Amino acid sequence: MLAISIANRAGELARVADLLDRFGAEHGLDSEVVADMQIALDEVLTNIGKYAHADNAAQQIDICLTVRENVLEAVIEDGGAPFDPLQVASPDLGAPLQQRRVGGIGIHFVRNLLDEVSYERTGDRNRLVLRKHLTK
Amino acid sequence: MDLREEKVGTVTVVEVAGRVDSTTAPALGDRLTANLEAPKVHVVLDLGRLDYISSAGFRILLLAAKRADEAGSRFVLCSVAGKVRQLFDLGGFLDLFTIVGSRDEAIAVAG
Repeated sequence: MLAISIANRAGELARVADLLDRFGAEHGLDSEVVADMQIALDEVLTNIGKYAHADNAAQQIDICLTVRENVLEAVIEDGGAPFDPLQVASPDLGAPLQQRRVGGIGIHFVRNLLDEVSYERTGDRNRLVLRKHLTK
Repeated sequence: MDLREEKVGTVTVVEVAGRVDSTTAPALGDRLTANLEAPKVHVVLDLGRLDYISSAGFRILLLAAKRADEAGSRFVLCSVAGKVRQLFDLGGFLDLFTIVGSRDEAIAVAG
């Protein structure tokens, strides 16, 4: 298990990416599995930073990585305003270039690259669980 | 992320290696913008050595494509394969950009 606490500010996401790389290497994870989780964490943490802590830039986000029973799991918890990133509207994938927006694509990636994603509000904490199966 | 740049006539080839995520995307954006702001410069972006790209990176690519569109420049992507191609497909981006197979083809299309 690897537990990471980050402040909600620029620069911290690079540290998360480095730690996940190292965690993946230590557990002999397939590079594609690690890449999918890297993308998911980048999307989710960017979203939390934008919406859940608009009032408090120094809010802490806790990330816990585990590998068990052929599943790579990331649990992300924060004490910001209630925010379920999974409720972000799906993007219009058919819009032409000039009308195209990227909003929603990140969560679309998270839903499609991972095998299980769930959100719950526990007390005053947001808790997001991301799971990627290690075998196809 | 590593960026390499090469000029071939009126075409600037930018090769991006590693990962484009929310941390690294701004530097890629700056490089593409600097090139697309120059008059009559076309840009080829070679993604052959890219490991993955998150939505922050796609936002940069969309902005670059719109900028090129408005300036009458060509912005051509090449070597979109494997994981990166899967992400383009998943995001519905394959039809949105001009994408060709190899760098040589891209230079021919852009030049």
